[in-house]
Amino acid sequence: MRIVCLLAALLLVQKIYSQDSLDNILDKEVSAQQALKPAKVFATFKGTHLINSRTNETIKKNEIDFRVSHRFGDIAGEYGGENSFFGLENSTDIKISFDYGITNRLTAGISRAKGATAIRQLYEGSLKYKLLEQTANNKMPVSVTAFTNAVVSSMASNTKANTPDHFDQFSDRMSYTGQLIIARKFSDRFSLMLIPTFVHTNYVIASDQNDVWAVGVGGRLKITKRMSLIVDYYKTFRGSNSIAQFKTKGLKFYNPLGIGLEFETGGHVFDFNFTNSTALLENQFIPYTTTSWLSGQFRWGFNISRIFSFKKNK
Amino acid sequence: MKKLIVMSAAVLLYSSLFAQDNKKWFTRTGQISFFSKTTAENIDAKNNEVFSLIDAEKGEVAFQVLVTGFKFTKALMEEHFNENYLESTKFPKAVFKGTIADLSKVNFANDGSYLVDIIGDLTIHGVTNQVKLPATIIVKNGKVNAETKFTVKLDDYKIKVPNLVANQISETVDVAVNCNYDPYKS
Repeated sequence: MRIVCLLAALLLVQKIYSQDSLDNILDKEVSAQQALKPAKVFATFKGTHLINSRTNETIKKNEIDFRVSHRFGDIAGEYGGENSFFGLENSTDIKISFDYGITNRLTAGISRAKGATAIRQLYEGSLKYKLLEQTANNKMPVSVTAFTNAVVSSMASNTKANTPDHFDQFSDRMSYTGQLIIARKFSDRFSLMLIPTFVHTNYVIASDQNDVWAVGVGGRLKITKRMSLIVDYYKTFRGSNSIAQFKTKGLKFYNPLGIGLEFETGGHVFDFNFTNSTALLENQFIPYTTTSWLSGQFRWGFNISRIFSFKKNK
Repeated sequence: MKKLIVMSAAVLLYSSLFAQDNKKWFTRTGQISFFSKTTAENIDAKNNEVFSLIDAEKGEVAFQVLVTGFKFTKALMEEHFNENYLESTKFPKAVFKGTIADLSKVNFANDGSYLVDIIGDLTIHGVTNQVKLPATIIVKNGKVNAETKFTVKLDDYKIKVPNLVANQISETVDVAVNCNYDPYKS
């Protein structure tokens, strides 16, 4: 009897042992692979821009992002209301841009913007590089992308000195932005980014400052599979001297805030937004937003993006 | 007592012999590709990180594939595939578990080409369906190759295509699997 019991036990052990099933083995192998080569978090944001801000996303290799952005006039306030059909008959800025993926991590862009401060007719060249990518296993908790641009104005120089558009030499037409875009996708629905920013303008009027620091925040909350609520905001740090000097001229600075709804169709991403900033390039809306939500000086705007791929499907 | 020891030893010996005999074939570099054709657009993707095991003794077959491992020609397609259709953060793996229906046909010890049916459960996008996959198993020089082609109906796996892009994405997808197995050493 004892023998039978023992044999049964041994056979049972063997059975359990051999039931270290194919599934378990595969699970282990797949986990090992994932630990070795953790999956990268994708689609932290839907496009290269949020509303006013850039995102950590770059354009994939050999693809081009064609983008049109438009900001209308003030909805309310002095220039809004019925007279301008709530700003729709005016435009403060229009930008057309092409961004090309040189590699999956490096994007080069060119754009033309109308410009919305005293400086108009802007050409922009930009570079964006993915430094770090968030991984699914959180070994790398954030994505970090570096962005820089150079902007030149092609407008005629003002003959009056000490005006923002008086250019003595070519370099007076230039301004630059440098950003570090630190982003994290917290869940399928929610992504957030923090953007330390530096804007340098080569030539400014006497009361202005060449260098302005700012920090941006941007977020996306998916409401449905293809629609998201998006927000971005920049806190601009200006010296109290320049703030006071501009105040004597009746100009007050505000922090740009954009709120919008983003839609994704098969190949397009577009958003409808409201923002108090008039300009579309960082070089302008960060140091020179002088319109306020509270005074009705916000406007309707939209961004449309379409990606074209030069890769052929077999 | 002596009888007991002899008997146990015999069982252990038998089981260890059995374990050696119980040969498993393994790969972590199997290939899966799929293809969807419409008048508007062709979609194709490849995954070269297919994990698979065959238990030659029992005729059991298992597959695991990471959905994010599928590479597309167009990056946007890959993003949509993961984010909107397969929802790969929610359902990271596609899994197959089945048995070779006519195992007696296959001799894993002898070179040869064997046509078999593998019947089992295919799980994609968190939905499991029973499928019958016609497969070719080729044994050659101590290696095993297995190949199958089958069609997946998106609707069977609750993969929804919005009307807007319905003309670009076919309702069925042709899948091809090709794996080269080595003996599995645990």
